[in-house]
Amino acid sequence: MRPVPIEASDEDLYRLMRNGNPDAFAQLYERRAPALHRFALHMTGNPAISEEISHEVFIQLMGPTSHFDETRGSLESFLYGIARNLIRVFRRQGPVAEPVETSFNPDLLGELIGNETSQMLHRTLRDLPERYRDVIVLCELEERSYEDVATILGCPIGTVRSRLHRARALLSAKLKRLHTASEVISA
Amino acid sequence: MTCRERTSQLVECARGHASPDRELRSHISSCDNCRERWEAERQLTAHLSGIRVRMAAAKSPAECRAALMQEFSRRHRRKSAPSWVWSLAAAAAIVMALFIGHEAGARSRHTTSPAVRTRSVSTRDGVVYEVSTDPAVLSDDFVEIPYTPPLATGEMVTMIHTEMYPEALASMGVDVDPTWAEHIPVDLAVGQDGLTHAVRISYNQQ
Repeated sequence: MRPVPIEASDEDLYRLMRNGNPDAFAQLYERRAPALHRFALHMTGNPAISEEISHEVFIQLMGPTSHFDETRGSLESFLYGIARNLIRVFRRQGPVAEPVETSFNPDLLGELIGNETSQMLHRTLRDLPERYRDVIVLCELEERSYEDVATILGCPIGTVRSRLHRARALLSAKLKRLHTASEVISA
Repeated sequence: MTCRERTSQLVECARGHASPDRELRSHISSCDNCRERWEAERQLTAHLSGIRVRMAAAKSPAECRAALMQEFSRRHRRKSAPSWVWSLAAAAAIVMALFIGHEAGARSRHTTSPAVRTRSVSTRDGVVYEVSTDPAVLSDDFVEIPYTPPLATGEMVTMIHTEMYPEALASMGVDVDPTWAEHIPVDLAVGQDGLTHAVRISYNQQ
């Protein structure tokens, strides 16, 4: 079995894993799974489903029907593409957005999300249209560059930027309305 | 520059936790909408940063990784199985080909009786018949015994002169009356495997 070089690209690791190299698969998993899991968690708000999605992404990657073509994009983009498709499937199947704050471990998730406003923001984020939610999660919560996100989403950089600005405006407006409503209730 | 164009700058400044340049600061101080937007963007960035920092700890449990690695090993084992299958299939094909070849040869030998394929060879111990494919030198009065394997080409046969019950001869396929009361003199063609392969009534011995 060929040793896996640490500096191997995702695509190199993919080729090695397709040839049955478990170390390459393990390295690829360590490299990409955490971000994919967080992405799914942000998008669905459900830890159990996000686990299932990140697991299924790698199951599909190792499966016989995996048709990654590196001439058409990066492996990372391919993985996010699988994850986004799975998220769509889960969302079509029903309401997946069982609140992240209560569906898993309230104490842990309370710690994860933080204060009430942040929790509210996270819920609001999940109500955004998918194209806006994608860019908020990738650009803001995963701190990916516009170039990276454009590659992952397969759209121009300008589109990423304009969607992000629009998404932020929507989030700000919703937060403002929620604050106003809570102030009215408390008054 | 319009407010709309400045909004883009505001957003990027807020995202990067950067201070607006002098011109933008001046505009923010004089434009209520842009000032409000600037504050909203800064707050949003702060909240999103908080979520990002806290959620960075979220990760799949170790069991997920272990399960995937196990699945990978299982699939790879299964993926490599075809080479074994192909090896077995190739071996089976060879065995089958040998069997078919053997059977085909046997059938071709069955089509001509040993009587046709033998010729006499004189030796000091008596008469020995050699299987031959040359029909010109072969006799045709032998009857192949159906329940013994056929003779191979070139296989030497020994002729044994003896007597047999008519019933036994009939069971060998010799055209005799099985109710005949007397023994019948026969020549048995015994192969190198020690088995009797053919028989003929030995009228000359009578």
